[in-house]
Amino acid sequence: MKQSNISWQSVKTLFRLDLRSRKDATTELSHKDKAMNVMNFIFGVVIYAMLVAGIYFFTNMFVKRAGLSLEHFLSVSNLLTIGVSTIIAISTVVKNLYMNGDNELLFRFPVSGTEILIAKSIYCALHNFVVTVLLTLPFHIIAGAIAGASVGYYFGSIAMIIFQSFLPFFIANLVAIPVMKIVNLIKNQFLLVLILIIIAICGCFVIYMNALSSVLGYLADNRVNFFADPTIKAKIIEFANNSYPINLYAFVLVGGTEVVWRHPALCFVYLLLMNGAFGVGAYFTTTRCYYSTILCGIESEKESLVKVHKTNKVRSVFGTLLNREFFLIFRSFNYSFQYLAMACAAPVMVYYCNALASAMGTKSVGTTIVPGLTLLVIIIFVTIIVSFASTSISREGNVFYHTKIIPVSYTTQILTKLFLYGIVGTASVVLCCVTVAAAFVPEAGGALLTPLDVGMIFLICELVVLAETCLSIWADIKSPTFNVSGDGELVAANKNVAVALFVGIFTAILYGVFAMVFSFQGLTLGKMTFDMQPAEVYGILAGVSGAILIASACMLFVNLEKRYQKIVP
Amino acid sequence: MLTIKNLKKTYPKSDRLAVNDISFELKPGEIFGFLGQNGAGKSTTIKCLTGILPFDSGTIEICGYDITTDPIKAKMEMGYVPDNHSVYEKLTGREYVNYVADLYKVSLEDRQARLDHYLDLFRLRFAVDRQIKAYSHGMKQKICIIAALIHEPKLWVLDEPMMGLDPQSTAEIIAYMREHCRKGNTVFFSSHNLDLVKKLCDRVAIINDGQLIDMFDLKNNEENKANLEERFFKITGTYEKRLFEDYASQESEDMRPELPTEEDNNDNKPTDEVEG
Repeated sequence: MKQSNISWQSVKTLFRLDLRSRKDATTELSHKDKAMNVMNFIFGVVIYAMLVAGIYFFTNMFVKRAGLSLEHFLSVSNLLTIGVSTIIAISTVVKNLYMNGDNELLFRFPVSGTEILIAKSIYCALHNFVVTVLLTLPFHIIAGAIAGASVGYYFGSIAMIIFQSFLPFFIANLVAIPVMKIVNLIKNQFLLVLILIIIAICGCFVIYMNALSSVLGYLADNRVNFFADPTIKAKIIEFANNSYPINLYAFVLVGGTEVVWRHPALCFVYLLLMNGAFGVGAYFTTTRCYYSTILCGIESEKESLVKVHKTNKVRSVFGTLLNREFFLIFRSFNYSFQYLAMACAAPVMVYYCNALASAMGTKSVGTTIVPGLTLLVIIIFVTIIVSFASTSISREGNVFYHTKIIPVSYTTQILTKLFLYGIVGTASVVLCCVTVAAAFVPEAGGALLTPLDVGMIFLICELVVLAETCLSIWADIKSPTFNVSGDGELVAANKNVAVALFVGIFTAILYGVFAMVFSFQGLTLGKMTFDMQPAEVYGILAGVSGAILIASACMLFVNLEKRYQKIVP
Repeated sequence: MLTIKNLKKTYPKSDRLAVNDISFELKPGEIFGFLGQNGAGKSTTIKCLTGILPFDSGTIEICGYDITTDPIKAKMEMGYVPDNHSVYEKLTGREYVNYVADLYKVSLEDRQARLDHYLDLFRLRFAVDRQIKAYSHGMKQKICIIAALIHEPKLWVLDEPMMGLDPQSTAEIIAYMREHCRKGNTVFFSSHNLDLVKKLCDRVAIINDGQLIDMFDLKNNEENKANLEERFFKITGTYEKRLFEDYASQESEDMRPELPTEEDNNDNKPTDEVEG
């Protein structure tokens, strides 16, 4: 790529174009849009406030409880924030520089590849800077406040965070090209992608739940200070001392001078050299490979699966509809992630959530609430999976006409979808129940559940899954939104998904609370006390679920042909 | 083969009749052209007769089966090629054709023989085991056509079928339309290409603003062939002498119609064989 003749005016125009394309197309917003924007902003602020609160507890735990020095704490927290920033930066660089659909469009303009690269890189750098600041600043300020740092520390922190923001950006630019190569390599390996997604989901969830468990444990019992244990403290200090080169940032800011090479000035030189090396490497890698990589991306966009088994096969009508429905989900990264991966990962999530909730609940209330908690947790996770059915018609997108012209009744077509979603939902419920049975029924697991509990939880959850599936499909038949992107996939989840999630979670809470309240102490209303045996509680819930299932199946199938015929794409 | 009687269709949230009291009948063995400007009601009529759109009143019968009361049997006799070439892009060409063949209950022997024939006819064998998302515009159109023909439908409905096709494939489709009709089947297609319609169709209907204005024979009727463009331009209210002369001058000498006079220019009314 030629380096000369860069028009900074073009770079500025491209950058502004990039920024504008991320905003709404219209400048005149309706009151509803403005209200939504305000709500989104408030929601964002609340989420960030929760993050800051979490950081406060985390920092308090290390600095106050464990008595870690600021230097060691910042070494650990910087490792965390730089790690997260780097992951976000890689994602931003890959999406904006290499995967963005506007690359082909921009190449048609009279601008050079270098100008496009610079304009997009400015956006990525700014994005990375904001992320780094938002993540790192609370750690520095809170740690400084708890440790009673001087005013100079806070000014130094700001300078250090700005300096710190370069590293994730440089690493992202170095890593993005190999990441793109891997993405291109595995994009049609659907099973491999699915397995990788499942592993990633389970891994992230396990890490998250373990961290949450530690924090909640700390909050629940202040007397037992895990971090005050001298052995644990020594291990953390050893880890902080060995977390090169990230700990150098902390040494620059608050490093002691007892060891010569930890002198702040010297550490700064090390960091400068390291950043320089990464920066030069990123510069040469990106400028040399950017153009060829996106050209390769544009050229390989149409690369697709080539089937090796070139035979024609006869299937029944039901079988062929089922086969098509499954492959349209399986061969889509988004749909695989939303549905199949979540269904496979659900047992792991249920196990960890249930273990944590049971541990917390048993401590505060008693073991009698565990069946109710298990019911609540399983229904919540299964609801997330089942909500996918609420796009079953919308996902047909541009090919919806096909469902109208084929010589198959709409009832059969809907039954096929219901069958597939029912099978996946049932499989997920079975796996979840087997997992909780294996974990909580034996004596070793605390015998928190009985076989009767597990059997009835399975029955109730299964009835709820089928009812929710029927209702989700019914809702999508009632108001589908065929808003699909170029590759035929839904642009965004429609309102039916939100409604399905809300109804499912509401049901889960209702069922869970009902089971917990009556299994714990019964309910007293005035002079009347409703005290029930577990079998009675399960009987009522199963009966209600059965009635809901019958009602939802009627809603779905009565007059289905007429209602479906009215859908106009 | 196809009987449409008093078809009326209004779109929701619209007062305008997209199709207003259309009636016509298609005979076995004929190629029928359906002409009209953009938005005249061609695609709406086709979508009603294929079962895609519900309609307000009237009846549509395909091979004697009513599309409303007996839709499965009616659809079984029909093959449809849409104008937007939308197919399941995540399936391979072979998977898609097999899927359609399964739905129409085509035996393994028949589908193998037909698929082989069409793959060679449309030169698509090299791509049939690739995902359709990798296909070009024309290749998608070809796989739609193959899927529509895999069950040898008695009524073959095509909505602007030649769009995006290379000349070779266009010629193959024209040849196959004729072959399909020789077997006693019927082809019903909409088009903007008057020259193609003139050369290919046995009969033609012109629709304007939702109403069927004109319907006449082209087979063995050189006068109607010669007047097709003029009739079309006048019916659709787009007649302008200068434009018409330009259009007509592009036609081959033997097909060129007599240029209209100044008087004709002021007269926009359709002349004969008006139905519906």
